[in-house]
Amino acid sequence: MEFGPHFLLASLEGAVNAAVLALMAVGLSIVFGIMRVVNVAHGEFFMLGAVLAWWISSLVGAHPAYGFVVALIAAPLIVGAIAALADHFVLRRINYDPERTIVATIGLLYVLQQTTLMTFGPEARPVEAPFNKRIALPWFEKTAEGFSMYWPWGLGTTTYKLAVIAAAAVILIGLWIFMTRSRIGLIMRATQLDSEMALAYGIPVDRVYALVFGMGAAIAALAAVLVVPIQQAHYLMGHDPLLLSFIVVIIGGLGSIPGTIVAAILIGMSDGIISVFFSPTVAKILATLLVAFVLIFRPQGLFGKRVA
Amino acid sequence: MLEVSNIETGYGDVQVLYGVSLSVKPGEVLCLLGRNGAGKTTLLKSIMGLLPLKSGSISFNGKALHTEPAHLIAKHGIAYVPQGRRLFSELTVAQNIEIGLMVQGRGHQTRERVLELFPRLRERMKQRAETLSGGEQQMLAMARALSTEPRVLLLDEPTEGLQPSMVALIDEVTLKMKNEGVAIVLVEHQLDTVLTIADRVAFIENGRNPETVTTSDLALTPNKVMQYLGVS
Repeated sequence: MEFGPHFLLASLEGAVNAAVLALMAVGLSIVFGIMRVVNVAHGEFFMLGAVLAWWISSLVGAHPAYGFVVALIAAPLIVGAIAALADHFVLRRINYDPERTIVATIGLLYVLQQTTLMTFGPEARPVEAPFNKRIALPWFEKTAEGFSMYWPWGLGTTTYKLAVIAAAAVILIGLWIFMTRSRIGLIMRATQLDSEMALAYGIPVDRVYALVFGMGAAIAALAAVLVVPIQQAHYLMGHDPLLLSFIVVIIGGLGSIPGTIVAAILIGMSDGIISVFFSPTVAKILATLLVAFVLIFRPQGLFGKRVA
Repeated sequence: MLEVSNIETGYGDVQVLYGVSLSVKPGEVLCLLGRNGAGKTTLLKSIMGLLPLKSGSISFNGKALHTEPAHLIAKHGIAYVPQGRRLFSELTVAQNIEIGLMVQGRGHQTRERVLELFPRLRERMKQRAETLSGGEQQMLAMARALSTEPRVLLLDEPTEGLQPSMVALIDEVTLKMKNEGVAIVLVEHQLDTVLTIADRVAFIENGRNPETVTTSDLALTPNKVMQYLGVS
């Protein structure tokens, strides 16, 4: 395949990556932004979403679309509820102390991972996509009579991959509207800005925290349900997305939703493209290098506010 | 009536208040007077439930407040204007007021009433709180508190660092609230302000409340101010 079509193919793969990564990282970002908790277990909520999606869709049977739709609703709710319980029984007990929450969420990571292993086993589990039509994509070439269109062999994508990109965009826009227009969003932002004053003005900060932690986990689970027809569910699948989410959140600016989305597109796309042309390892090396440079030259991230 | 009796509290292991008692009646202004670090802000924070009490009690109209979770104190009609204003900086003026209105589930009428007291805020409704001038921020802090339709108002140095006309406006609103029957606890260092708007003065010294006097008595014994504040 020539460079042009090859690049288009890589970009499409990158866009799917970016879409899933944006969701995942936004979940991590709102938890950090509002609660100042670095949630090391975030990748396990993603993994749990994927494994539950497999489990639920295999329970439902019937047409794969039914199972998928049920999983799309149920998996994030279950994962969100587990996270809210973890907030109530673990994070609240240690007063959201920054160092102790890191250690506690590392513990949570292993509890979730090993429980999944013991319950569902070590196999990678596929989930069938609700629809998955192949679309061949055209490319242009210059001939003596001007431009003409042709369909290079191997250049194509699937309707499902395009749907994942669209779904992520819709969810992110919905989340943005929720945070900026709704009353609960207002309460969350007030809590983020000054939790003590929020308390003095009648906001039940404990409940807001449980909701935010649950929401962050549910968004990760939602991303996982979307990705699991492309990438199989497995109890160790949380590691890479966690690392990439941290990279994205640091580059975008901790706690900034727009920054997180821009950085997710940057990292997701470049990860996809570099993986195709070079290797996934090179892609990770470059992303990590970028984090190092951001930390040196712009420690608050691209969109973050400098702490006075 | 707001009653604080014999409270002891502090931050972690550091105890700040050692058995402070005081009370404020509706329509009364009680001024807390004392040096920096004496425990005035700590006292207001413990009334708001933001600091756990080691001992003692706080009640409002006979109902215990210190056993309530902190987020319910405001619903009892206690509003707090903290030192340094502490607005929700990235929220707009309208949203800051909205947070106050939510406490008692108030709406349009209360908002209008509050904005009549501070008409300048009406022109700034869509502006982020952090972009306001100092005086406007203080107005907004007052407006946020008044949006809860409070029966007790805790004001921590509300006129600190403001120009004279702004000080006059804040004092005027404070007096207006007093006349409407709100009980007011005011931390204030300007003695002339204290003498004009306070009914009683509670001295706070090293986390204790050695004495509470009426303002008219204080005017007769100026050496008390010397004794507790080191100025005359």
